[in-house]
Amino acid sequence: MENSIQKKWETKKWLHIIFGIGLLITFFFPWVNWDEIAVYGFDMPMGNFFKKSVAAFGPVNPFPQLNFTFYIFWLIPVLIVVAIFISLKNKKNNLPAFIAGTLSLALVCVFYLFTKIIISFGIGSNVFQMLQISSYITVVTALGLILTVPVTKQWFKKIGWLLLGPVLAFSALKFGEKKVRAETYKTTDNVTADYTISSTEMLREFANADSLANSKYREKIILVYGNASQVERKSDSTATIRFDDPNGSYIVFSFEKDQYKVIQNIKPGDVVSLKGSCSGSIYSEILGTTQISFKRATINK
Amino acid sequence: MKKTILLMALVVATGQLFAQKKTTSSATVTFDATTAKDALPKATNNTVIGSLNTATGDVAFEASVKNFAFTNPKIQEHFNSDKWMNSDTYPVFSFSGKIEKLSKVNFNKDGVYEVTVNGIMKVRDISKKEKMEVTVTIIGGKIKTSSSFEIDLPDYGITGAPIDAGKVAKEPKVTVSAEF
Repeated sequence: MENSIQKKWETKKWLHIIFGIGLLITFFFPWVNWDEIAVYGFDMPMGNFFKKSVAAFGPVNPFPQLNFTFYIFWLIPVLIVVAIFISLKNKKNNLPAFIAGTLSLALVCVFYLFTKIIISFGIGSNVFQMLQISSYITVVTALGLILTVPVTKQWFKKIGWLLLGPVLAFSALKFGEKKVRAETYKTTDNVTADYTISSTEMLREFANADSLANSKYREKIILVYGNASQVERKSDSTATIRFDDPNGSYIVFSFEKDQYKVIQNIKPGDVVSLKGSCSGSIYSEILGTTQISFKRATINK
Repeated sequence: MKKTILLMALVVATGQLFAQKKTTSSATVTFDATTAKDALPKATNNTVIGSLNTATGDVAFEASVKNFAFTNPKIQEHFNSDKWMNSDTYPVFSFSGKIEKLSKVNFNKDGVYEVTVNGIMKVRDISKKEKMEVTVTIIGGKIKTSSSFEIDLPDYGITGAPIDAGKVAKEPKVTVSAEF
């Protein structure tokens, strides 16, 4: 009888070690493919996870200030080695195996949920096809590592450790997603301009080197000053102000309803200083001129 | 002498024809792809260029794709990304068409006229025929036009998980309004 129990313990111990080795190896293999970009388990603690997301035209890290917390996933290989060592020595300290397994399951869960977000960006279509075999092996070996921990009658404890990682990962991802979706543009008033330039100079820059000017100013906050050529207030309380050059090209700022009061006294010919997000230039076939447009404009105070 | 008169008549006629072409650089286009699941994909561009020729019924619009303003930065990024509008490569939406039965509209008389416009919409360099109902309002010599219609995104090569998942409308509503 005692021999049978002993044999069972031995089998469990070696299974535990095999699961540990498997989990350790898969950590250094690709877990998912995003548009031909392979993402490894260790990419998260290495700080490459979100860099690869951006490279695949996916989202950026919504919490860059918390980047340091990703180092915690280096505990996976470290604690697996410790757990294997403890098992070989027949010691009873099970915490390293529990933590390594839980962190692995949490990380797989992050990869799974984040890949679903990546798909919503139009990259790939099937999360299960994008996940690589290593991620599936990680799930199996992490479950195995936790379940073969040599403690008896502690199933609640084991199930608790099994669920902890995925629950934490799911909550963190959902919280991040909610934050990103609730985000709105800062009022341009409160944003420092990347460039300050006269309307004449800006029109000249675009006329001389369109591509260069577009790559310099597009999606930047620019403060443009000069004489307003046209001011148009619409019945829906939005408005536009234009700076024209003699050749017909023009800069146009689009003001939202909340700016209506601020610009109501501006007339053509007034010297104004406007700030907005530059959308770059287009060539208008209709007007036969270049339009440089701005959105979310405000009057610079 | 006859030739001179003919030439002058031609110049005057051409001039008059051009005089009938009215333009604006502040037309508004609203793009509404919201669904019951997601209220974020909605944007407005207030700097759309438009033209209307009251003599021929020719209508045209051009909008800078990048000047569509969304409230949410992430959705605006999606909209402009190469998987969607690819605004770096295709910076302009355009429409060029003609008013059917132009004689229904008296541009010299105040009133509200319902007309049909047929034309070609160009999105991401893909051209497709579109037909829309347009309301033309004449008030004190000013011409106001407005129209709402739906476009089928897959027709312009725009597909993907957000549409399949019902987060972005497959047929967003486009509203155009202009004052000439």
